[in-house]
Amino acid sequence: MKHRDDTDFEIWLRDRTRSLPEPEVSPDFLAAQRRSIYQRIGEPRRHAALRWAFSAAMLLLLVAGFAFQRVQVQKPAATISDEQLFSDLANMEQRTEPKAIQPIHGLFEE
Amino acid sequence: MGAMADRLEAGIPALADTREFGTWMASEQKRIFLLCRRMLQDPEDADSATQDTFLKAWQALNQPESKSLDDPGKWLTRIAVNTCLDRLRSRRWQFWRKRPQPEDESAILQLAAATDPNAEDQTFAGEIRQRLQDAVGKLSLRQRAVFNLRHYEDRSLADIAEILSLDVGTVKVHLFRAMAKLREELHDLYVRDTRDREDK
Repeated sequence: MKHRDDTDFEIWLRDRTRSLPEPEVSPDFLAAQRRSIYQRIGEPRRHAALRWAFSAAMLLLLVAGFAFQRVQVQKPAATISDEQLFSDLANMEQRTEPKAIQPIHGLFEE
Repeated sequence: MGAMADRLEAGIPALADTREFGTWMASEQKRIFLLCRRMLQDPEDADSATQDTFLKAWQALNQPESKSLDDPGKWLTRIAVNTCLDRLRSRRWQFWRKRPQPEDESAILQLAAATDPNAEDQTFAGEIRQRLQDAVGKLSLRQRAVFNLRHYEDRSLADIAEILSLDVGTVKVHLFRAMAKLREELHDLYVRDTRDREDK
């Protein structure tokens, strides 16, 4: 029954829209459209070349940005001499109070 | 379809000359423009899509490796439908894009002024055209393409499948779903018109 309804609807739609006159398109409009097409045919593929150039430039920018970011991230590891290291360790060992308390001293300094 | 089409069918290497191409274009132009307008529902966009279609056809025909075509009309339809589908897909991202103003839409619809002398029929024709256009606008891209090719171009399911690079079963499903949606959208109009006809 549903199928029958669908078929009836399709037939109705076809009848009703077929009876409508085909949309008119003015010859002037079509002629102007043809002129535009001829004009575009005559043009060198500048647009395509421009599009490629733009895409290439964007890609280049992207790659450059990525490379720059990587350089920024890869900072050279801090180097410290053996003497400096041992001196720092000795200082830390001789300190009697925990390092975390140090900022509290700042509160009482004038 | 003209010398160009004959040559294409004959499989002669397609070194499209402008005059032959022009003749072929003139014979297909209105059909392609109307197809684009039905697909895109925007005359300016359809104009641009029609131009793109013929430009792509020209470029394809002028490629040294271009193949012979059995049916240049179908080939051109395929280019047009794909051009329209691409435009419809890119429209999804154009959220700033405005719909045509209602007065513009009615002006567009007036392009196809009914010639029927019966005023009632003319009113109904205008209504059904408007409603159908709105309903078709709600179909998915593939459904819209299948419906337009079937309904307005009278293409067979096999043809549509070839144009859209789908299998026939998928085309059937798209067509069935499109008709179901249109039936839902136009239900009141269908019932009213059927009743009016029975009363007469």
